[in-house]
Amino acid sequence: MINTLSYVCFGIGLIFWFWGTWPLLGDRSVLYKLHSLSVADTLGSISIVVGLLLKIPREWPLLLLALISLAIWNTVLGYVLAYCSSREDTYD
Amino acid sequence: MTDSYLYPIVALLPLTACILVFQVNPYHALVIRGILGAVAALVYAVLGAADVALTEALVGTMLAITLYAVAVRSSLVMRLGVLESASATSLDVSQSAQPQLEQWLDNLRTLLIKHHLRLELVNYPDRQRLHQALKDQDVHAICTPLEAESLENQAIAADSPIYCTTIRIPRLYDILQSELSSSHLTPSARLAQFEEVSL
Amino acid sequence: MNVILIAMILALLIPIYEACQDEDIWQKMLAFASVATKTSMMILVVSVLRDDWMIGVVGVIILSVGNAALMLLAHILKRLNQL
Repeated sequence: MINTLSYVCFGIGLIFWFWGTWPLLGDRSVLYKLHSLSVADTLGSISIVVGLLLKIPREWPLLLLALISLAIWNTVLGYVLAYCSSREDTYD
Repeated sequence: MTDSYLYPIVALLPLTACILVFQVNPYHALVIRGILGAVAALVYAVLGAADVALTEALVGTMLAITLYAVAVRSSLVMRLGVLESASATSLDVSQSAQPQLEQWLDNLRTLLIKHHLRLELVNYPDRQRLHQALKDQDVHAICTPLEAESLENQAIAADSPIYCTTIRIPRLYDILQSELSSSHLTPSARLAQFEEVSL
Repeated sequence: MNVILIAMILALLIPIYEACQDEDIWQKMLAFASVATKTSMMILVVSVLRDDWMIGVVGVIILSVGNAALMLLAHILKRLNQL
């Protein structure tokens, strides 16, 4: 039961990954790509970590740390990248 | 140890290394170096070398890229010495001289960006100190207005150069010379090579 | 589990191809961000798969350090374009 649930989590995470990474190939603006990438990558990664947590609950401190750092760092990184790249656009 | 996912993961390392080697722009190469560092850390961790993976991530990805970015930024630059008030020495061309200098500097910037170089202006108060700076290798090139009498000699054509750019580094001179001769923009300044005899 | 890892490798190939093909530096940075997250997640999955605590710790550290490197590089590139 738990095992199938964790596989479902992996599947959802992988779908999020592909869904968020696919717009990278298009010819859209940096901010559009950044939005889809940060949202889908973070959600997909969190879902994969939850799947791992269900599979092996013994390593919960490690996976919890991964979850927290993933959530915080990816949001901050999204802001920093958007700030840096848009400042360059207004300067040109 | 012989899991089926091992081979594709290890194959990623030469793939990213080849992409890195074929980059032309140094900054793009730095970003690809970051990707290579991440992939290398993954390969090392999968092969069981956790300490090597940690070192690769800390040193190879973070420290090396930051240091290289600073090094590339400070070395890929052309330092051009100009007079602080370029119009002060020439008498009546003060109105037309300044825009011409600006246009020349803009042309120079676009030429240099093609070769991933930056242009950095260094101001000097008078002509003597400008030439001394070129001799002392403080700047790579100087941009000086032509002397008044030589300006008289050339029948004042509208697009005749009134600025002379003297370049100390032969390679830089070759690059700019070939770019200027091949491009269609009118050179608003003359190019000259600095002959160094004293060493 | 092997199928999941193979699918992750395929997902990792997309940003690598993007970084190879796109000329804009910020698009390359985006691809780098994607690759950094994905590789550290793969390290975590492998560590759980093998039940190896040590690799897991390294994966979590790489997850945070890789993003820090990215921010440093982004700020340097921004300063570069302003001058």
